[in-house]
Amino acid sequence: MGTKSENIYKPFKVTLEKVIEESPLIKTFVFVPEREFSFKTGEFIELTLDGIGEAPFTPSSSPLVTERFDVTIMKAGYVTEKMHKLEPGAVLGVRGPYGRGYPIEEFVDKEILILSGGCGLAPIRSLLYMLIDMKDKLRKVTLCYGSKTPEDCIYKPLFSELNKIEKFSTLRTVDFTDPYWEEHVGVATVLLDHVEVDLPNAVAVVCGPPIMMKYGTFKLLEMGFPENLIYLSMEKNMSCGLGKCGRCMLGGYFVCRDGPVFTYDEIKDQPHIW
Amino acid sequence: MASYYQLEKTAWDKALTSLLGSFRVFAPILKGKTLDYELIKEEHIPQIVYNTPKPVVPLKTFFLPVKENVVVEPEAEKPVIILGVPACDLSAIDLLDKFYMAEEYHDHYYEKRRKNSVLIGSDCHSTNKHCHCTSYGLNPYPENNQDISISMLNGHAIISAFSPKGEALMVRILDIESDVPTFDELPVGLSEIRLNVKRELEKANRLLPNYQETTDAVINSDRAIWEKYAKACVSCGACATICPTCTCFLLIDRPGFEKVRQLDACQYPGFERTAGGEDPLKELEYRFKNRYMCKYLYRPEKFDAIACTGCGRCIEACIAKINKNELLVELTK
Ligand SMILES: Cc1cc2nc3c(=O)[nH]c(=O)nc-3n(C[C@H](O)[C@H](O)[C@H](O)COP(=O)(O)OP(=O)(O)OC[C@H]3O[C@@H](n4cnc5c(N)ncnc54)[C@H](O)[C@@H]3O)c2cc1C
Ligand code: SF4
Ligand code: SF4
Ligand code: FES
Repeated sequence: MGTKSENIYKPFKVTLEKVIEESPLIKTFVFVPEREFSFKTGEFIELTLDGIGEAPFTPSSSPLVTERFDVTIMKAGYVTEKMHKLEPGAVLGVRGPYGRGYPIEEFVDKEILILSGGCGLAPIRSLLYMLIDMKDKLRKVTLCYGSKTPEDCIYKPLFSELNKIEKFSTLRTVDFTDPYWEEHVGVATVLLDHVEVDLPNAVAVVCGPPIMMKYGTFKLLEMGFPENLIYLSMEKNMSCGLGKCGRCMLGGYFVCRDGPVFTYDEIKDQPHIW
Repeated sequence: MASYYQLEKTAWDKALTSLLGSFRVFAPILKGKTLDYELIKEEHIPQIVYNTPKPVVPLKTFFLPVKENVVVEPEAEKPVIILGVPACDLSAIDLLDKFYMAEEYHDHYYEKRRKNSVLIGSDCHSTNKHCHCTSYGLNPYPENNQDISISMLNGHAIISAFSPKGEALMVRILDIESDVPTFDELPVGLSEIRLNVKRELEKANRLLPNYQETTDAVINSDRAIWEKYAKACVSCGACATICPTCTCFLLIDRPGFEKVRQLDACQYPGFERTAGGEDPLKELEYRFKNRYMCKYLYRPEKFDAIACTGCGRCIEACIAKINKNELLVELTK
């Protein structure tokens, strides 16, 4: 998106239209951009709260919708806490989209196994919308999602919607159950024991907290997924978002420019990946 | 082929004086024991120090100020001449230009300043204790990125232009006098000095591994050496601040959707901390090693340019007296 004449540090404005409470810690914010804005699934934006701070987020809405976009934000610290207090009408700043998202062209003719946890479902939701759009060209899509408790499970209507779509199925688990929960119990990776994969035609996508990324990847490798077909969304401390500030180093990579989506095989030899 | 012009020192000083009206000129001046770039007024011209190794601050400070608002349009500035830039700092520009200008996203603030300045490189006719440019394939005289080069020899300035920008300025400099002597070859006296200084540096650093050897050694190193040296480190970040190729920064928000870019360093605690408390570089030992990985592996690989110019500033700046080169010699023993 960036052009050479644009100031790469200057955000454009977006207006908050609606706030959706997803869980006690997670809210979805619907923004209307002041100018044309589009993104590819898995690319991220830098969202500025005026005078307070800026943080990277991956839009969680469909890239096919361009009049507005959603950002799903977990309360995690200084800036995100302040964002959670926002009311419709608030004006924020956006830079981006940045980074390398999901290579959906490579998913054609494949079955896609998605492992996600917590707020990691945000980028995945945007990916799912793209996969629905191209479902005729896919074998199947399986979403495995884990949250801490049933209350922490986000996008509740999404699961029943997906289960109604041909070729799509979902599995959910919680770490800590309650009397009404009827699905799986245990960490997200346990769901992988319950899926059938046709390995020669499968790719895996993982997005969630670091610990889940790590053990999820190990489990997928154990199941026989090749290293170059496991797609990981790497999270790093970022500042500029476009390869200038040097903060988001993952070994020799800048996660903001070379990622945030990497195959396991691209990053496995870098130090401190999880 | 370059042409070398020979001007009497007095004529050169006169030429420089005539440029003060249309340029802001910065040149090395000695204050106490410290050699630093100063904004030159007419009375400073005789005090300018030529052909001496690096001023204390690296060239990057002209293009990447420690702190700068990067949303507000910068005011138009008079063009700048930076005089007396040593070869090590000139070579650092390779990495900076690729980082900030050659990519899809251009950093306007860097680009504007960079394009607005003329670099006059200068030979080193002596060496400092920690200079080690020759170990990394550089020579102690301007070869790369200088618009003009200058050397003082027997009361004369030997000058030569290397870029269109340099040539344009040269026209104005040569305007000062008629019949300026020109040579196609570098004067013999100067090539002798160059060779001697080069030999001196090679001798002083004969135990130091070259760039590739260093890269290999850092990759294959044991943890013990980083543990050992990191014990003395106090995470002050001086090594990164003073380094001509360290550019990491942080954006700080200001009201009105403004952002201030502030230089940062991987040596500071929390550099890579993310929400939830994950911090791959939490241990000082990892941060300490990261700088070496960055210099000798990550940046050269990514940008196809060296990220340590051998200037030796980080060794001089270290309050814990950690000597990068001692570490590297020990690593390759
Ligand atoms: C590519 C990418 C996409 C992301 N997408 C989402 C998303 O869709 N939804 C969501 O809830 N979260 C997402 N995150 C994480 C989110 O950016 C952090 O939770 C957020 O930066 C925390 O900021 P804070 O000020 O509230 O936290 P604090 O801990 O107070 O952070 C202080 C500073 O550290 C930096 N920082 C801290 N944690 C992170 C982090 N995890 N990643 C990057 N910088 C950090 C920020 O620059 C921040 O200014 C994403 C992160 C990345 C890198
Ligand atoms: S990561 Fe560290 S060594 Fe590399 S440029 Fe940044 S501050 Fe310098
Ligand atoms: S690492 Fe040290 S010697 Fe190398 S360029 Fe930076 S300051 Fe100079
Ligand atoms: S966030 Fe600045 S380089 Fe990646």
